[in-house]
Amino acid sequence: MNELFGLSMTYIAIGCVAVTAAILAFVAFIAVRNPVMFKMGLRNIPRRKAQTALIVVGLMLSTLIMSAAFGTGDTLTSSVTSEVYTILGRADEIITWDTDKEAKPVDEQTIPLATVEMLRAEFVNDSDIQAFVPFLSETLSLQNQRTRLNEASPRIVAFRTDDAKALGGLRDRDGKEVSLSGNEMAVNAELAKAIDARIGDTIFAFYQGNPVEFTVKAIVPNTLLGGTFSSGDRKGAAIDFSVLAKLTGKADRAESVFVSNRGGVKSGMERSDAAKAKLDLALAGTPYKVETFKQDRIRLAELVGNAFTTIFIVFGLFSIAAGVLLIFLIFVMLAAERKPEMGMARAVGAKRRQLVESFLAEGMGYDLGAAVVGLVAGMGVTLAMIQVIKSAAGENLGLNLSVTFTPRSMIVAFCLGVIATFLVVFISSWRASRLNITSAIRDLPETKPFNPEAATWMGYLRAGLNGMVALALPVGVSLLLLGTAGLVLGVPLILIGLVSPWVYMLRGSNVALARAVRHESEGPPKWPWILGLCLPVIGWLLILPWYFLALLLVVIVRDRQPASLAKWMPAAGIVAPPFGLVLVLLQNARARIAWSAGIAFAFGVAGGVLTFAGLERNSAFFFFLGVSLLFLWVAVTLRYFGQNERASFTITSALLLVLWYLPSKVYKPIFGELNGDIEMFFLSGMVMVTCGVFIIVYNADIVLPLIARLGSRFGRILPALKTGVAYPLTARFRTGMTMLMIGLIMFSLVMMATLNTNFAQAFLNNDTKGGFDELLLVNDNNPIGNITDTIGQSGTDTKPIRASAELRIAYSFEAEVENKDKKTKDGKVPAFSRYTIFGADEGFFAATAIPIKFRAAGYASDRAVWDALANDARLAVIPASLIAPRNHFGGPGSDVLRLNPLEEDFVPFTLELRDPGAGTASTVTVIGVMKETGDTFLSLGDRNSNGTGGLVTSKKTLLDTYPAARGQRFYLALKPGTNAGEYAKNVESGLVQVSAESLQTLLDDQQALQSGFLLVFQGFMGLGLIVGIAALAVVASRAVVERRQQIGMLRAIGYQRGMVALSFLFESGFIALSGILLGLGLGLSLAWVLFTQGEIGTGSEGADFIVPWLNLAVICAIAFGASMLMTYLPARSASRVPVAEALRYE
Amino acid sequence: MLIEGNDLSRMADDRKTEFRAKDMGFVFQTYNLLPVLTAVENIELPLIVSGTKPKVAREQALASLTRVGLLDKAGQRPSQLSGGQRQRVTVARALVNKPAIVWADEPTGALDSTTATEIMDLIVDLNSTAHQTCVIVTHDPKVAARCHRTIHMEDGLIVRQNSQAEMLAIAAGH
Repeated sequence: MNELFGLSMTYIAIGCVAVTAAILAFVAFIAVRNPVMFKMGLRNIPRRKAQTALIVVGLMLSTLIMSAAFGTGDTLTSSVTSEVYTILGRADEIITWDTDKEAKPVDEQTIPLATVEMLRAEFVNDSDIQAFVPFLSETLSLQNQRTRLNEASPRIVAFRTDDAKALGGLRDRDGKEVSLSGNEMAVNAELAKAIDARIGDTIFAFYQGNPVEFTVKAIVPNTLLGGTFSSGDRKGAAIDFSVLAKLTGKADRAESVFVSNRGGVKSGMERSDAAKAKLDLALAGTPYKVETFKQDRIRLAELVGNAFTTIFIVFGLFSIAAGVLLIFLIFVMLAAERKPEMGMARAVGAKRRQLVESFLAEGMGYDLGAAVVGLVAGMGVTLAMIQVIKSAAGENLGLNLSVTFTPRSMIVAFCLGVIATFLVVFISSWRASRLNITSAIRDLPETKPFNPEAATWMGYLRAGLNGMVALALPVGVSLLLLGTAGLVLGVPLILIGLVSPWVYMLRGSNVALARAVRHESEGPPKWPWILGLCLPVIGWLLILPWYFLALLLVVIVRDRQPASLAKWMPAAGIVAPPFGLVLVLLQNARARIAWSAGIAFAFGVAGGVLTFAGLERNSAFFFFLGVSLLFLWVAVTLRYFGQNERASFTITSALLLVLWYLPSKVYKPIFGELNGDIEMFFLSGMVMVTCGVFIIVYNADIVLPLIARLGSRFGRILPALKTGVAYPLTARFRTGMTMLMIGLIMFSLVMMATLNTNFAQAFLNNDTKGGFDELLLVNDNNPIGNITDTIGQSGTDTKPIRASAELRIAYSFEAEVENKDKKTKDGKVPAFSRYTIFGADEGFFAATAIPIKFRAAGYASDRAVWDALANDARLAVIPASLIAPRNHFGGPGSDVLRLNPLEEDFVPFTLELRDPGAGTASTVTVIGVMKETGDTFLSLGDRNSNGTGGLVTSKKTLLDTYPAARGQRFYLALKPGTNAGEYAKNVESGLVQVSAESLQTLLDDQQALQSGFLLVFQGFMGLGLIVGIAALAVVASRAVVERRQQIGMLRAIGYQRGMVALSFLFESGFIALSGILLGLGLGLSLAWVLFTQGEIGTGSEGADFIVPWLNLAVICAIAFGASMLMTYLPARSASRVPVAEALRYE
Repeated sequence: MLIEGNDLSRMADDRKTEFRAKDMGFVFQTYNLLPVLTAVENIELPLIVSGTKPKVAREQALASLTRVGLLDKAGQRPSQLSGGQRQRVTVARALVNKPAIVWADEPTGALDSTTATEIMDLIVDLNSTAHQTCVIVTHDPKVAARCHRTIHMEDGLIVRQNSQAEMLAIAAGH
C-alpha cells in the first residue's frame, strides 16, 4: 500500500523513522548524561517479571493493530497487483473506440488493421512504445464434446500469432510457444478445469446459435492471451484472429488494440503516462481513445489495499484509544508504586526532570520490547485474518490472497507504536514527577496546594488565560476552520502555541527566576535545542526558533515581574492572545493555576469554534465534537465554582447522551443537514462511553445498598461483595479508566455485530429472491426467445416452472441516464451518468415480488406499481441506492443522478435514457423506488453488475433505446417441492448458452461471505479486549500490593482465604461487568436509533430491529470470562498473603 | 499455644480464621480500617464474616460504636475521622464480636499523648466494666503501667514479668 489517509506511505515512513530516531537519540542522551537515573529506571523492568509481561502485552496493542492493518492492506495490494501483472503481462495501454468522439453502434466500434499499421509505422523507433497488438474478443458458449460439459460465457480472444509475440507470445503451461491456425483453440487452465478439457478434445463454440468446431491444441495459463482479462472473470480461450473475425463479420478490423511499452512487465508501466501523451496526440481527430489500463488497475489495487488498511485502522481506533488509556493507567500506577522511592530520590537532590528521565528509561525498555512483540503478533493476526477471509469468501473472492508484509509498512507500524507509547509515557512521567516529597516518602495521599484564588472569578480568569495560552496551538488550528476570519484569529494563536509550551517548561526552571534567587552558574535546559538540532526540518523549523524565542522572552521579563496583576488583565489576555502571552510571562511563578478549569476553558473555546464550523460546513463530526467539548467545559466549570461534582458531571453527561441519541430528523430543523462518515462511529463511541462511565462512577454508590441487600441473601459472600464494590468506587480514576477501556471495545463490537446483522437482514432476506427461485444468465451472442420453450426443447421437463420472466440489460458501460427534471437541492446534475438499465417483459412484472419502498402518488400498492409498468412501457422504477442520502453516520449515498431523497406518495418525475453509441434516447417516468433488496436481487450472480441494481423499465423501451444491448437473463419461479439447485443443473446441462443458479444458493453464498467478513472485523476489534483485560489484571495486581496490610487485617478479623480472593474477583467483576453492560447498552441503543430512524442509509428506516443475542452473549461471555481469568492470579496471591507479615508495620 | 482449651498450633487455616473471627479482637497501631467503608460498616464486618445477619450485625455495630462514644460518626469514612477517633472505631470493631481476648498491637503508637491517654482510659474502662481481657503490645512504660501484668520480651523470648505496682514505679522513675 502506498497511501494512508491520503498521505504517501514513503513520507510517513521517513517521518516516523526520523521521530523514532530522535526519541532513541534523546533516551541515549539521557543515559549518557545521567547514567544513575537511567539505570534506576531500567533496573525496575526485571523487578516484577509478571507485571513486566503484563505491561508489555498492554503496550504492544497499538503496534499490533497497526501492523495487522498494514499487513492486511499489503496483502490485498500485493495479491491484486501481482494478479494484474500476471494476467496483463506486457500489455500496458489499450486503444478503443470513444463514443464521446463519435457515436456508433457497439458492433461497429472497431479499429481497422490498416490504422494499426499506420500507428506502428509512426512509433517504430519510439523510446516509450514498443508494439501494437490488435485483438478481437467475444463471449461464446462452449461445449466439450468428450465430456458434454458446457460453459455459457467464457471469453474467447483472438490475436495474430506474430502480433502476440510482442506480448511474450501465447505459451502453454510448460512455457512452450503455441501457434494457432485454422480451427485450433488454446483453452486456459480455468476453462479447462470447468469443462474438463484435454489436448485433442473437440469443442463446439456457439455463435448466434450455430456451432463451430474447434480442437484443443494446448492448455495455456490464465493470462490476457489465454482469454483472462480480470481475476474475477478467468475462464477463456484463444483462437486464430482470422477465424473469429470471419465468425463475427469483422474481417480486417480489430475490436481494440493493446499497446506494449518498452521495458518489462513492471518497468514498462512506468512509461504509461509518456506513451499515453504521445498516443493522444497521434489519435487526435480519430474516433479512438487510449487508456492506461494496466496502470489504472494497479492504482485500483492500491486503492483497495489502502481502503482496507484505512478501514481496519479506523475500526482499530477503539483498541488504539483503549491501548493509550492503558499505557497511561499503567504508568500512573507504576508511579504510585514508586512514590516512596521517588520521594527519597527527590529528598536526596534529584530534580523533577531526572525523575521523568528515569521513568522514560524504564518506559522505553517496555516500549521497544512491546513494539517488537506487537509487530510480530500483528503479523500473526494478519495471517489469521487472511485465512478467515479466504475460507469465508471461497470462490466468491476471485483472487488468490498470499500474505505479504512490506518492510516500509512494518517500519511504520513499529515506529508508530514506539512514538505513541513514548508520548504517553512522557506525559504520565511528567505528571508522576510532580509529587510532594514528604507525602511521597510517607506514602500518604498527595495534598492539594492551597490556592487563595480557588472558586473565584479571578482564579477562573487566570485559569482560562493559562489554558488558552498553553493550548493556543490546537485552538488556533480549530479556528482555521472558520475561513478568512478564522485565519486572522487562528494564525496568531498558532504562533503563540509554538512558543507557549517552552514558556511553561522554562517557567519553573532556574533561568526564569528573579536575580535574587537565581543561580548564575546554572544555564537554561539544553535538551530542547539538542532535540531541535537532531530532528531535521521538523526540529529546525518547529522547535529551535520557538524555544529560543521563549528563552529570550523569559530572560527579558524575569526581573520585571510585577507583584500582582490587575483583575481585568486576564480577561483582556483571553480576548487578545498576544497580550495573554505577555501576561503569562509576567505572572508570578508561584501563582496557583487551576489547570483543569483552564484546559476545559480552552476546550470550551475550541468546542464553540468547532460547533460553529460544523454548522457552517454541514459537518456532523465538527458539530458533535464541538458540542461535546462545550459540555465538558460546563461540567468542569461548575465543579470549579464549587457546585456538586456528582450532579455537574451526571447531568451534563446525561444531556450529552440525549443529544447523541437524537435522530437527525429531530435536530435537522434546528441545525440543518449534518453530514458524517465512518469517523462518527469512533467519535460517538468515545463520547458516549465516556459519558456513561462518568454517570456510573459518580452514581454507582446509589446501588450499593441494593447490592448489599442482594448479597445478604447469600450470607457469607456479602462481606466480599461489599468490599468488592466499595474499593472500585473509591478509586474512581482507575475504575473509570478501566471501565472506559472495556466499554469502548464492547461498544464497537456490539455496534458492529448489531448493525451488520440488521443490514444483512435488510439486504439479504427472502425478498432478495424477488419472488423467483432460479437465475439464468444467457450468453450475449446466443440470445433466447422463449425460455420455457427452449428449456422444453432441450429435453428438460418444464412442468416445475410456475412462472418465467425475462430481463434485457444495457450495462453501465453502454448505457447512460440523465436527471432531466434537475430536482436536486442545488440544481446541479451531471450531464449524463453511466448507469445500468433493465428492460423487463410482462412475465417479470406479473411475477415479481420485489417490495416497493416509496410509491408515487396514485399507486395504492406495490402490485399497482408493477401492473402500471406492465401496461405503460414508458414507466420505470429505480433502486433505493439511487436516492440514498449521505447523512451524519455515513450512509452509502449516490452521486449518479444527485436525486433528492424521496418519500411515500412522491410526485412522479422523468429521467432521460440514452445510448451513447447509437445516440438513441427516450424518456421514462419514475413511479416507484424499490427496497434495498431490489439492489441485491438485480446484482445477484451477475459479475457485470457492480453490486448495485439499476433502473427497471419495460423491455420495449430498453430495446428501443439501446438496440445493441445484448445482456439477457431469465428468472424462473418453480412449483413448490422442486429442488431449485437440481433444476438449475438440469437446465444448464441442456442449454449450452445458459448459466443457471438457484437464487437461494446465491443468497447463501452472499450471507456466508458477509458472515466471514463480520467475523474478521469482530476478531480484529475484539483484540482491544486484551487491553481492557490487561488493565484489569494490572489494577488487581497493584491492589494486592497496595492493600497488603488491609488484606492482613481482613484475614485477622475472620476473612477466609477464599473470601479474600472472592472480594478481588468481585472487584474486577464489578468493573468488567459495568464496562461490558455499558458498552452493550450504549451500543445496542445507538444501533437501534440509527437503524430504525434511517440514519445509516434509508434502507433501514422503519425496518424491524433485530438483536443478535447469541452473538452478543458470546462476546460478553468471552469478555467477562477472560477478565475473571486474568484476575484469578492476583486474587489468588491476595488470598495467600501471610496474615502476620502483612500486618507488620513498614 | 492454648486459648480457651484450643491448641492454635493444631488448627487448620480455615478453623484458625473462624476462631479469630469469633473469639479474638484486634487493635492495630495504624488502625487498619478499610478506607472504602464507613465507621459502622468497618465495625460490622467481622460479624458479617462470621455469619451474623446483616440487620443484627448493624445493631451490634452501632451498640459497639456507642460504647466508644462515636455513634454520631457512624456514617463517616476513616479519612473523615481524627487519629483518636479512628482508633476508637478500631477498638469498637475489636469488641463487637465479644471476643475472649482483644489483642492490641501498639494501640497508642500513632497517637499524641492526650489521645493515647484517652484510648488507654477506654481500654481500661472496658476491662474493668465489661471484664474484657486485653493483651497489649507496647514500648511505652506508661501504657504498660496501666496493665495488670506486664511481660517483657527481648528477641522473641520472655525475659521478665512485672506487676502493675512495679510498672507504676518504673513509669514514675521515667
